[in-house]
Amino acid sequence: MKRSYLVRALTRTRNRTSLLTRSLCSSASQPSGADVALKNVTKSNFEPALAELRHHVREADFVAVDLEMTGVTSAPWRESFEFDRSDIQYLKIKDSAEKFAVVQFGVCPFRWDPHSRSFVAHPHNFYIFPRQEIVGDGLSYEFLCQTSSLEFLAKYQFDFNACVYEGISYLSRSQEEEALRRLDSLYKDDSSNASSNFRNGVETQLISMADILFAERMKNMVSEWRAGLLREGGGGHEIQGNLNGMSQKFQTTFFHMHPALVVNGLTSRQLRLIKLITEKHFQDLAYVYVTGETSSRQPLIVYTDSTTDRESLMREVKACQRKEAETKIKAAIGFRQVIDLLSSERKLIVGHNCFLDLAHVYNKFIAPLPSTAEEFVSAFQTYFPHVIDTKVLLNLDDALLRIVGKGGTSLSKAFGLLCRPIAPSSSSTVLAGKPRVIVEVEVDDQRFPNWNSGAKHEAGYDAFMTGCVFSQACLHLGIDFSSHAAAVDLVHNEKLQKYINHLYLSWVNGDIIDLKTGKGAAESLGSTSVKRHHPKIVFSNMILLWGLPSKLRGKDIKDCFCQVFGRGSITSIYHLDETAALVQFSKAELVSDFLILKDTLGRDNDPISVLHPLSRIFESGCVRAASYETYKEICSSPVSELLFTDQAKAVGINWNTRLVEQAIGSENQDDETCEKERKINAIPICQDQGKTSPGTSVSDTQSSCHFPTDELVDSFYPSEAQMSK
Amino acid sequence: MPFRRSLCTQAAARHRRRIQWPVKQVTKSNFSEALAEIKACILNSDYVAVSFKQTGGHSAPWHKILPIDTAETAYFKAKHAAERFQILQFAVCPFSVKASKLIAHPYNFHLFPRDELKVGMPSYSFSCQSSYLTAMAQEGFDFNACIYNGISYLSKAQESATNVQIGHLSPSSCTVHSSSVHSVADSLFTERIRSRVKNWIRACKDSNKTEDALISSLRKLISGSEVYGSRPSLNIDVCSECQIKLALETLKEFVDVVPLQLPKRGAGVQAVRAVLTSSQEDKNLLEKELQHMEQEQRERVLGFREVIDLISTSQRPVVVHNSLNDFAFIHSKFLAPLPLTMDEFRSSLHLIFPHILDVNHLMKEIGPFEKMNNMPAAISYLERRFSGSIDMDISSQADTDKVNIHGHNVLRVCHLFVKLCSILKISPEVPEDGQSHLSPSLPRHSNIFNPCSSNSTNPIEDDVRIWTGNSRTISINNLVFLWGFESGISARSLKDLLCDTHDVFSEEFDVRMLDRTCAVVVFWTPGFAECFLRIIDSGEIISTKLTGLISGGLKAAGYETYKRVCESGLRKSDLADCLDQAMDETEILSGTVKSQQEQPVIYWNNDEMINLNDL
Repeated sequence: MKRSYLVRALTRTRNRTSLLTRSLCSSASQPSGADVALKNVTKSNFEPALAELRHHVREADFVAVDLEMTGVTSAPWRESFEFDRSDIQYLKIKDSAEKFAVVQFGVCPFRWDPHSRSFVAHPHNFYIFPRQEIVGDGLSYEFLCQTSSLEFLAKYQFDFNACVYEGISYLSRSQEEEALRRLDSLYKDDSSNASSNFRNGVETQLISMADILFAERMKNMVSEWRAGLLREGGGGHEIQGNLNGMSQKFQTTFFHMHPALVVNGLTSRQLRLIKLITEKHFQDLAYVYVTGETSSRQPLIVYTDSTTDRESLMREVKACQRKEAETKIKAAIGFRQVIDLLSSERKLIVGHNCFLDLAHVYNKFIAPLPSTAEEFVSAFQTYFPHVIDTKVLLNLDDALLRIVGKGGTSLSKAFGLLCRPIAPSSSSTVLAGKPRVIVEVEVDDQRFPNWNSGAKHEAGYDAFMTGCVFSQACLHLGIDFSSHAAAVDLVHNEKLQKYINHLYLSWVNGDIIDLKTGKGAAESLGSTSVKRHHPKIVFSNMILLWGLPSKLRGKDIKDCFCQVFGRGSITSIYHLDETAALVQFSKAELVSDFLILKDTLGRDNDPISVLHPLSRIFESGCVRAASYETYKEICSSPVSELLFTDQAKAVGINWNTRLVEQAIGSENQDDETCEKERKINAIPICQDQGKTSPGTSVSDTQSSCHFPTDELVDSFYPSEAQMSK
Repeated sequence: MPFRRSLCTQAAARHRRRIQWPVKQVTKSNFSEALAEIKACILNSDYVAVSFKQTGGHSAPWHKILPIDTAETAYFKAKHAAERFQILQFAVCPFSVKASKLIAHPYNFHLFPRDELKVGMPSYSFSCQSSYLTAMAQEGFDFNACIYNGISYLSKAQESATNVQIGHLSPSSCTVHSSSVHSVADSLFTERIRSRVKNWIRACKDSNKTEDALISSLRKLISGSEVYGSRPSLNIDVCSECQIKLALETLKEFVDVVPLQLPKRGAGVQAVRAVLTSSQEDKNLLEKELQHMEQEQRERVLGFREVIDLISTSQRPVVVHNSLNDFAFIHSKFLAPLPLTMDEFRSSLHLIFPHILDVNHLMKEIGPFEKMNNMPAAISYLERRFSGSIDMDISSQADTDKVNIHGHNVLRVCHLFVKLCSILKISPEVPEDGQSHLSPSLPRHSNIFNPCSSNSTNPIEDDVRIWTGNSRTISINNLVFLWGFESGISARSLKDLLCDTHDVFSEEFDVRMLDRTCAVVVFWTPGFAECFLRIIDSGEIISTKLTGLISGGLKAAGYETYKRVCESGLRKSDLADCLDQAMDETEILSGTVKSQQEQPVIYWNNDEMINLNDL
């Protein structure tokens, strides 16, 4: 990290001089932010930083956020493809959010300062780590790391040590509830002893000779101590005599106004034996395990006057223990307090291409992700009612898109183009002469007008860039901050209304989701920039093939299919990975025709089957076929095998061909009827063979082969995918 | 520098935490140097101890290897862990025992599965358990050093899958078999190469004379001459395996020419490059350079695998602490994906590592020992119980002023091994006749995989022992898995609940919780387990109490179901869910005949051993 700071500082110095020559610095007397890093928050400074952040968020007009994760996709076929229906896109995002950990969380509140007519930003960079702070039910916290993502983070000098050593831990709301519930059931049952929970309920038994001797000795010693107490009226008595070496382990003390014996330096087995004999042989002694003044837990044998006294003491001890456990749970909430703060302040949240980020926020800090996108967004909206995505903003507003260009909607590029005076190395002249929003940065109560000391892909700095891009974008949309005396109400600003709560579900195919309804929203936004795929993807016309030999190319598959179903019967072929592909027919009927044909070919072994053109694909005997719905089924599994074929096997799909009656109807991908499929129980065995014969003329659909794997070669390396964000 | 420290004194034992043994730390930057060193060390030593740090162990209590596991299910569990988790540091310590003195050369390699070739290998992703990472942090592990500078690797299987030709550079590796039969096209091809190379050589030699720069560059352009380093070179395009051979054969005729094969992107050879050397010395120099480059390439591509290969080829006995777990990891990361069965695993491993010594197993020879997984405790226990000290001589090139806190476990393994040998009266000293790599008395202790090396007989993290010192064995036929009862119930309450529900519970039986959702019932009377399962299956229930339990959701299954759960990869954290799923799948496949061969006997105590030599 040191080295990287040095490099950053050097580049910054260079930038500063260039800025000065452009004389853009409003006042030279103000301290330059060159050598001030953004606020890094770890375990050690979390509490004061949170208190400060509370204040900043409360005053903020909007809060920009950004997350860094340990990975994006758990298998290559889990990447986002253009042929993924929106429910599958959600399943892929859900899988990513469930498997990977968040290691850095950037929060940057922006406040409009009418005096200086500028925004004041407070970038915070939280290191977080899913450390297990409370003992659960034996399950340990586990997360996945994508090797390439770690390499990517390393490339940008991410400090992994800060994360593991000093990262702030957290509990989600549901985890907290679960922990409290467990605590409840633990202390609910009065008769059971708190310390003996979740055991096998087996009493310690005196098995070996050593145990018996030890127990006998302890019995003598305890009774001696007790006799001593009674004799002297309590206190001050130390054990002496024949217990050499033991005396240092036992000391008399007071516990809740009762004389007590501290038992130190014994093994857990010995302690259990002591507990056993105390309970068995001494009515007026109680064995308790309490947190002492030194905050370390210690075992005590307490002398009580009567049974009621003993019971009340035990109750007291138990109440103490419960309180202690509760405090521990509260303390374990950790970073979630920041999320609770953002949620309770109901501020406008700004992110850049942030649907995955929001899924992480929900999964890590609120509750496990629901199984559908609709359920997720409606649950999410109750916590965060206003979210805006700068990627959507830049792409959907024509004026903005003209400035940044099609390739300029990635965060760092947009920042460079829109926020020129702040961002270094900008050569764009589009904005020359145009007004811009000034953003000043405040770190630890110091203001810097031209602060730019973050590093790309550092969550805090990315959040800052996102906020800057948003504020500039607002200006371009015609939102005039300076004319207002007070802050602008961004949440209700009419110019932003059509962008609020609209997020890219998947950037690859430009699907936008409306957080209010959970439905696709691209059409309603009337955008021209949404990627429209050609030829149109019709899910009901698709079949899924897997178990393919890796040498088989898309063209081979197409040729084979065209021989059987006629030229033009195949609209396109998409590869999921080297072992699986989706084939789109020109007509929906062909799907069921194909599946029946495949089934027949698989069953028969006559010469016709062997010589059938399709046998070239099926010859290995492991090729399976199914309708598009199976793709969804496979995606919804929590398992993630590297190859799609292995995944299908792991999900437990063992049949060769699943026959499905085609749900012919709407070709609209957003139409719900398309997602509902009717399965038939009785499959008509005798099909009109003429239908499937090669001679059938098929409509002249423009056919083409698509190899998204080639087109999306960038996104194959998630590091690149992250960068392009 | 050699470093001496006696480990046996009381003082040493007490201050063990503060002892800083010099362990050489290896990252990407000093890997080549360390590789050469360790190669010599391995060849000069009698044994190699290994020990590593992984990113996780078991995600649920029952994923741990339990006493009720057979060798097969234990292997499935070890396989599951090895496939998901990653090794971040790997300590290797070649050592010898000379005159009761342990001479050790410890190295600690930092690993990271970096995708050096950009082919998605060695590992697309891996799991981490935060508890393991936190524990590593407590020992001062440097995650930045590991991820930034860790050494990568490729397993043997991955290496062959990538088609990376590592040996292509060195001319010695181009084995040319002269084929006598040549077609006309072939002779034309060779003739063309011959004349082209001749002209090119002449041109190169001529250009030594003063010539116009323009003409010389034109000449070079025409002859297709390029420069390889400081030497002139010529590329000959080839389009088949046969043409490569022909080209190499033809180039042999030219004394000053060194042939190279240029790899194509992906696989194969794109062209043969002829490099012209000025003299014999120059040629030797170039060949040496090429060998060096090849070695570098190997190091870059194979990375840490080189060390594993060194250990394997040296045939030295490998000493580990927990052989099943350790070798499942080693097999999965550095050799090949783990096979489906234990037998295949054993035979596959036997080819690579013929002698494996497990200190855990040796420890059991002494007697039941409580905390076997805790090595410092084991050492101090043995030190207390058995007199006799072991001198340790650690020679290392490590900077002693640096804090070397990592990789100490491997020294503990060495130490424990030597101590155990002395207690068991096994001489670990290898006779110097060069005949054997193993001391004569050791073979009977080698290659024993002990599945139940987990530190307790009790599945739940608690040191309550129900059957301490009880080595009573029970066939897996007598075990029944029960689930669907109130979550979190204790074994005792469950036993009480079952007690008078049916006649099968009238005889002796035991209940043990495997996790909070599932218990195992042990019927000490043969046949009762089967009987109980039949009753549950058929529904012909006599007692109303049992009916009540079953209607409350109680389910039961035999060991087969449990085995299938382990085999299918422990997908869920609750055993009950897994068993449920396995039961559902059985119903689907009910047509298939359950082939039930002889049932292996498991030992209720953790004493089961599998001897590799029995294969």
